[in-house]
Amino acid sequence: MGRRALPFARPLAAAAALALAAAPVSAQPSAAAVKAAFLTKFPGYVAWPPPARPGSGAPVVLCLLGGDPFGAAMDGAVRGQQVDGHPLQLRRLAGTDGAGACHIAFVQGAGAGAALDGLRSKPVLTVTDEHSGGAHGIVHFSIAQGRVRFTIDDAAAAERGLTISSRLLAIALSVRQRR
Amino acid sequence: MRPFNRIADRWPNVPLAAGAVAVLLVLAGLMVIFQNEAGYREQKLREAQVQSDILAASVTAALDFGDAATAKESVEALRVNPQVNSAAVYAADGSLFASYQRVPGHLPASAADGRERNPVEARTPVLRGGERIGTVYLGTVREPLSRRITRYSIIALLVLLAALVVAILGISHTALRRANRELEARAQALSDAYAELHVQMEERARAEDELRQAQKLQALGQLTGGIAHDFNNLLTVIQGSADMLRRPGITEEKRIRFADAIVQTSARAAALTGQLLAFARRQPLKPEVIDVNSKIAGMTDLLDRTLGERVQVLTELGDGLCPIEADPAQLEAAILNVAVNARDAMTEGGALTIRTCEGERLEDGRRSIQIRVSDTGAGIEPDDLARVFEPFFTTKSLGKGTGLGLSQVYGFAAQSGGEVRIDSRVGEGTEVVIVLPCSEREAAPAADAERPRGRHRTGRILVVDDNEDVGRFAEGLLLELGHEVVRARTGSEALALARGDHFDAVFTDVVMPGMSGIELSHQLRAHLPDLPVVLTTGFSDEIARSGTGGIPVVFKPYRLETLAAALDEVLDASGPAAR
Repeated sequence: MGRRALPFARPLAAAAALALAAAPVSAQPSAAAVKAAFLTKFPGYVAWPPPARPGSGAPVVLCLLGGDPFGAAMDGAVRGQQVDGHPLQLRRLAGTDGAGACHIAFVQGAGAGAALDGLRSKPVLTVTDEHSGGAHGIVHFSIAQGRVRFTIDDAAAAERGLTISSRLLAIALSVRQRR
Repeated sequence: MRPFNRIADRWPNVPLAAGAVAVLLVLAGLMVIFQNEAGYREQKLREAQVQSDILAASVTAALDFGDAATAKESVEALRVNPQVNSAAVYAADGSLFASYQRVPGHLPASAADGRERNPVEARTPVLRGGERIGTVYLGTVREPLSRRITRYSIIALLVLLAALVVAILGISHTALRRANRELEARAQALSDAYAELHVQMEERARAEDELRQAQKLQALGQLTGGIAHDFNNLLTVIQGSADMLRRPGITEEKRIRFADAIVQTSARAAALTGQLLAFARRQPLKPEVIDVNSKIAGMTDLLDRTLGERVQVLTELGDGLCPIEADPAQLEAAILNVAVNARDAMTEGGALTIRTCEGERLEDGRRSIQIRVSDTGAGIEPDDLARVFEPFFTTKSLGKGTGLGLSQVYGFAAQSGGEVRIDSRVGEGTEVVIVLPCSEREAAPAADAERPRGRHRTGRILVVDDNEDVGRFAEGLLLELGHEVVRARTGSEALALARGDHFDAVFTDVVMPGMSGIELSHQLRAHLPDLPVVLTTGFSDEIARSGTGGIPVVFKPYRLETLAAALDEVLDASGPAAR
């Protein structure tokens, strides 16, 4: 476990350092790094319904839809990252085609709303931020007190058959409760 | 006592056992407390671990996402638990991520700091998908000592109570045993005391016996001394007179005077022995039916003479009194004895009153009469009054009285079936009451004194007496009376002589060794029914007890006339056939 600590600790420590030290000057680059780190961590707190659940040895697919604000930082964050024994795979997609295979989709750009609509019926954890054209996915990043935080729409997750760990819900800024 | 003893004997080590049990109880109590304490510590540890685990679970996401604020919230939430002293979340590299501490100084600086800072500590790794992403530390305080003591004090109290009960049991058992031992010792002491008492009682009884014996001997000594004194006086007169008679050339007038002195003194000696016998109630009485009034009336002359001119004799004789049965001579002597005492009590003169009246019924239902003799003399001291009937008790000066007077009265009254009472007040006088039972028989005519005397006869007489002197004296008297005399020394010798020879009468002593006079008379009556027998005795138990069976008795000491009269009577009765 100690051996495992380094790969994930590095981006976290970097993100924390950036968030704390660089926040007053410019939150943008550090926020992107933090978001990238967060995106790699979300799969650990989400359970997919059986058909979408990755099989043994199958990767958990993290898709970036409609744009890539992270660049190489994202690749670095994903590399070597594992979720409950499943490797994490990064896919960059332009549209919703093939997005059905995604487990997590970070939706960006002006077409985010349509993309989200397209994914509405699929068990995909959709993530959005302020650059997603005002659309809100299940998880939506926001900046609070100079730090990257997120809100969770648990009701939407429930509609897609996703179960989000209460631990994750606990650190969310706000949660839209499932009915 | 016995059951307690058995218990004490059966379990002699109960106090020891009780002590051991008490100690065991206390040890068990301590063990329970220690075990409880250990269990408590373990439980606290488990609780801390559980809390730590919960904390680890709740801060996983916060740690994962670097949300120190949320992690701090979770950690600070433990504030509500007063037992949590400090809590912290460390990142995977061991650096402090979020912390809370109630009092500074209880928190390790890093996850690697293994120093124990709290009594109960728990560490839990924070895992995400099997990866360790940090460590949670939880430090709790133990329950304050006072609260733990309060908790254990109940157990301790119960244990102490039980130990106390056992100890008290042991102590009370010991006390019981000690009490038993004391009780036993006391019982032993009691039985010893009882034995001692018994010994003392026996000694006392023995001492009393000895005292009684000594008193008896003293009384006997007094009696014999008194008799010896009186007899010596009488014997002096008799011996002196006899010595004078033996002097040659004595005048006829002197010879008669000395002979009279001997006769009178002997009569007094005989009276003395008579009184002795009366006191011993062994006097051979010759009871007759008497009219008391005529007897007393006949005594007035004698009393007047005896009492002198200074004493006036009065009689108040009751009417219609029943006759009594008594020895008239003894009755006379009794009245005379009382009268003489009365005279001696009235040194300045006075009156002697003799009253007769009917008395109350006796215990056996017979009627009785009373002869009350009273005087106006000095009276008797109360101390002396109780002793007046004792023989030889006298208040008179030496030589004036024998001390036998009232004891004769007592003996006479008792032997006649009555009693005697005495009442006296100092300075007023004394009254003696003689109570005698009534007789069923008619009184004999008083004037039978002069019976026609039979003709004086002589014959061949067998004299039987074991005493040589008395035998020779009797032989002398009989020879003087003109009889022919053969003497025998024993009853069997007399029997042999009587069978082999002819005799007109047998004159035999009663008390002899071997065959007694009465046995001899019975034998003679069986073999020689026509041979008359006359008994003689000074005193005989046998006669006093059962009488003589019609055989005439001449009591010693006898006078010549008495002997002659008795023999004349028997010879007269068998007269014609005798010769």
